[in-house]
Amino acid sequence: MIDETRQSEQERGLVFNIQKFSLHDGSGIRTLVFLKGCPLACQWCSNPEGQDVSAELIYTRAQCIGLSECDACLGVCHAGAICGGGDGKVDIDRRACDACGNCAAVCPSKALEMSGEFMSVDDVIRETEEDETFYARSGGGLSVSGGEPLAQARFVKRLLAAARSRGLNTAIETSGLCSWKSLEEVVPHTDQIFYDIKCADPERHLRTTGVSNQRIVENFTRLRHDFPAVPVVVRTPVIPGVNDSEHEIQAIVDIVNEAGGASAYELLPYHGFGEPKYRKLGLAYPLEHARPPSEAVMAALTKIAAQVVLESTGV
Amino acid sequence: MLQTVDVKKTMSPVGVLSPHEQRIEHGEPVGLIGDAALGKRARIHEMLKGFREQPVHLNVARARLLTESMKVSEGQPTVLRWGKALAHILAHHPIHIEGDELVVGSAGPPGRYAVVYSELVTPGRFYTQPDSLVPSESDEQLVVTEEDVAILKDEVLPYWEKNQYHGALMNGLPDDTRRLMERFFVVTATAAGRSMLAWAHDFDKVLRRGLRSIKEEAERKLSALDPFDAAAQVEMRPFFEAVVLVCDAMVGFAHRHAELARTTAADEPRAERRKELLEIAEICERVPEHPARTLHEAVQCQWFVQLVSRFEQAIGGGVSNGRIDQYLYPYYRKDIDEGRITDSDALVLLESLWIAMARSVDVYAKPGQPSLTDGFAHWEATTIGGLKPDGRDATNELSYLILRSKREFPLNYPDLSARVHARSPEAFLRAICETIKEGTGFPKLFFDDEIIPSFLMKGAEVAEANDYCVTGCTEVKMLNRDAIATGCAWVNMGAILEMALSDGCMKSYGEDRVGISTGDARAFTSFADLWNAFRAQAEDVMRHTFIQQYAADTLKSRHIAAPMFSMLHDLCMTEGKDIHAGPIDGALYLGFFDIMGFGTVIDSLAAMKKLVFEEGRLSMDELLAALDADFEGHEAVRQLCLNAPKYGNNDPYADSIGRDIEECFARLAQGHTTAFGGELDVRYVSITSHVPLGLVVAATPDGRRSGEPLSESVSPSQGVDVKGPTATLNSIASTKCAQYKERAARLLNMKLSPASVAGEEGTKKLGAMIRAVCDMKMWHIQFNIVNRETLIAAQKDPEKYRNLLVRVAGYSAYFVDLTPALQNEIIRRTEHCF
Ligand code: SF4
Ligand code: SF4
Repeated sequence: MIDETRQSEQERGLVFNIQKFSLHDGSGIRTLVFLKGCPLACQWCSNPEGQDVSAELIYTRAQCIGLSECDACLGVCHAGAICGGGDGKVDIDRRACDACGNCAAVCPSKALEMSGEFMSVDDVIRETEEDETFYARSGGGLSVSGGEPLAQARFVKRLLAAARSRGLNTAIETSGLCSWKSLEEVVPHTDQIFYDIKCADPERHLRTTGVSNQRIVENFTRLRHDFPAVPVVVRTPVIPGVNDSEHEIQAIVDIVNEAGGASAYELLPYHGFGEPKYRKLGLAYPLEHARPPSEAVMAALTKIAAQVVLESTGV
Repeated sequence: MLQTVDVKKTMSPVGVLSPHEQRIEHGEPVGLIGDAALGKRARIHEMLKGFREQPVHLNVARARLLTESMKVSEGQPTVLRWGKALAHILAHHPIHIEGDELVVGSAGPPGRYAVVYSELVTPGRFYTQPDSLVPSESDEQLVVTEEDVAILKDEVLPYWEKNQYHGALMNGLPDDTRRLMERFFVVTATAAGRSMLAWAHDFDKVLRRGLRSIKEEAERKLSALDPFDAAAQVEMRPFFEAVVLVCDAMVGFAHRHAELARTTAADEPRAERRKELLEIAEICERVPEHPARTLHEAVQCQWFVQLVSRFEQAIGGGVSNGRIDQYLYPYYRKDIDEGRITDSDALVLLESLWIAMARSVDVYAKPGQPSLTDGFAHWEATTIGGLKPDGRDATNELSYLILRSKREFPLNYPDLSARVHARSPEAFLRAICETIKEGTGFPKLFFDDEIIPSFLMKGAEVAEANDYCVTGCTEVKMLNRDAIATGCAWVNMGAILEMALSDGCMKSYGEDRVGISTGDARAFTSFADLWNAFRAQAEDVMRHTFIQQYAADTLKSRHIAAPMFSMLHDLCMTEGKDIHAGPIDGALYLGFFDIMGFGTVIDSLAAMKKLVFEEGRLSMDELLAALDADFEGHEAVRQLCLNAPKYGNNDPYADSIGRDIEECFARLAQGHTTAFGGELDVRYVSITSHVPLGLVVAATPDGRRSGEPLSESVSPSQGVDVKGPTATLNSIASTKCAQYKERAARLLNMKLSPASVAGEEGTKKLGAMIRAVCDMKMWHIQFNIVNRETLIAAQKDPEKYRNLLVRVAGYSAYFVDLTPALQNEIIRRTEHCF
């Protein structure tokens, strides 16, 4: 059923959030469009609802009113996935749920909500352009993030081309894990690229993200070579126990420099903000006991990060 | 929807504190900040030590002298009586010179003081029970001596109980209007609590001409009056006589200070200070009688005018400072060019003025009752930047120096307003952003691109509109074109909504109908029915509001006059008429009424439109039953209401209802002319009244519970604007009916986290945002750059956070001085952090 939907929706993108007034995502005041679906499954992922390639049911249990005053969802679930919990609130049987969305449509408190909505290029552009006054004054525009936006490369290409033709600055945030063809198709419509290199050691990359970094590194090298004029900001989320050693960061710096440098290299300290979402999706949080890296660690790593060769086409 | 965590957010420093928060965390005492405390400004630093611990002395001397004079002038023309009273006050009010101050004069005893205005009364400022007075800033200790109480009870109040404007106004209203006014907080009349709304005097006129020239003008006009023109002899003559009296009295008041400075100098052991005192004496002999020549003379002259204005009358919000960077500039420039002063000297003079203003505190009665204007005494709006009359940019070195002082000077005075326009220099924007980022809420911003055209629509000339200044919280004035406005009414839209849903009744006032009968809401079959009921109730409330305002305008001139104020106004001098005695030929009478609870009412109407009339998810019966029960046992209904479309998210569904509301009130305003031929405009400035106004309003269909605050000013309901500040700004822009000239200020508070504006990038983006807000033709915006955690910590440990300043509404106040209800309301305002 999902495949059918995707067929008919192929001209549209599966969006799970549009966030206005983003200040820390490249030039100016920007709107971030988050696309659903990602080939990686990083343990530290802060947007787990961005991983799955289809719409999902989100359940915020704290918001459930409880069966004493509301049972709107009980009667509408065709899959029998909803039942009363011990404390009077409902519970969802994730194995039975097929994410049809019936319950979310009737829930008065938005305890039940669907994540993921198909939107056309026009829909996204219209919503993005609501803030055009702010882009005009700040040099901002549209950024596409995810999930992995290049998993929907055709949509992204059309979206960015439309945005550009309407005078909006464009950017993508990518994990780099996609076919070269996808990247090649999208980059010409992109003013800025934010490129994650999470880990230099292929083994560890595989263990913590579920995939090898080989393709990511290859794509990066080719990107710098084939599109030297497009500014690329490299980012590494610093995850304790994964890549918070000087050795690891040094190895990433080497990869970047071998490919010809970047317009900036940013280290993003791990935070646990994504944790509550795992519960809402009925998932376990893989990094349960992780703590953000200390300031001292960040300071030491930042020193190493400073060795990245910066190109002059700075963002 | 899940709040998507933007990965880059980790780049923004988590837990960033504003500089203001940092100083409070470190427990720094009040004083000039950093190196500013050194060198010449050490004098100011010393004066600030312990400033907020000084007790507040009640000043009954002004009331006593006023009463003495008024008793003996019974029956004479009002303006002459007030001229004589002011002269009597200036001749006999005790004076002093405090410490090492350079700018002298005070409207009270040494230290901080609160002036009693016995001629005025409001529910909030209430003098008939002197034992129950409290200062507005809660940690202050109000000193009321037994002697003070005796003077008030024996000499002052017996006279004013019979002669107060308030009593006359209430007696002068038609019965039905009075009954509505007596039900608190449906329509709140504010006319009798202050002599007029905020105003800045034409200080420039006094600086350039001196009072002698104004007195000579009055004398010339007196002698030119046609002796056979009875009207001139009866109406104009007393006015010009009062002006002459007041000019002399003001010069005499300055000379008293000169004399005191000389005698103080004689006993002064330090040679340096002795020299200063002799200079002060010379300055007080020079100004305000003659034109000022130096910055020191100019600042002293400005303060004398402001001080005398405080003796003359209680201007709502205090005496604003006008375009201070414009009228002081020639003196500053000349002193700098001739090597007389440095920027530090200029700052010492300006900061002396700020301290002089900060010494004045307002007092309120009835402790514990939520105030309409929590935690503030007065504003003294001080305007910098903007356009010159000829349309060029007006910023100059003083504009920047005043911003610098705002970053380094720790008190919440003066309230700083920066005028921004499309061509404001980038450097000015930067300096503004750096100051906003300090986190004390200054400066608030006014946008010429909206305000100037609005003046033009109302009939002003371009040059005078370009030269407007900010007064009070969000008001703006053209000093020689605007006439004063009588205090205006606050209209509780929450109450109007409740009446539309309950056939004109309100739970707070029982069975007895407050509004008009608009039928049982259960019988409404369409949104149009509901809307018609709302509009009918609004019309009725506005009818009474206009009647009240008419009475307030016409009755006031029999009780109050202001010759000093009037002599500084070109039109009053031309017409020979006191400013209170309208109509004055050529003046623009621009008043307003504030509609309170904009967001609450939009969201309520939107919820009913969608849930009851369009989707049918709720019946009116179910909804009313839930409201009746204050949602107790009806949580599902409340949740549906809470999740209906909300104003503040750039959602046309809700915003179009907002536009209809504005249009409804703008049309009512269009159809009304005031007693003096002016207009009353739709305005959205709640100060802190949305808290007490909410107290009388039952549960509303937006999910708000009974008694909770209404939404504030033009802001969305607390916490419902979840799509970020750009969406909020877009909503505000799309609820504006630009085709009506009957519009006035829209006050907008925006809370940003310090992290979101941190660093150079943050400065740039905040600047770009302000430019965009200007492009969108907003009237006003002000920022709270503060962490939610800081506010919560301050509630728990008020002692530690007693110097924490936050933006309230049109002004900054100490957070710990606010009532808990308002504190919570500020915490609930959405913090935008991206
Ligand atoms: S999304 Fe559909 S299947 Fe899943 S719980 Fe809700 S109603 Fe049942
Ligand atoms: S509809 Fe929503 S609020 Fe009601 S029981 Fe189901 S989850 Fe809870």
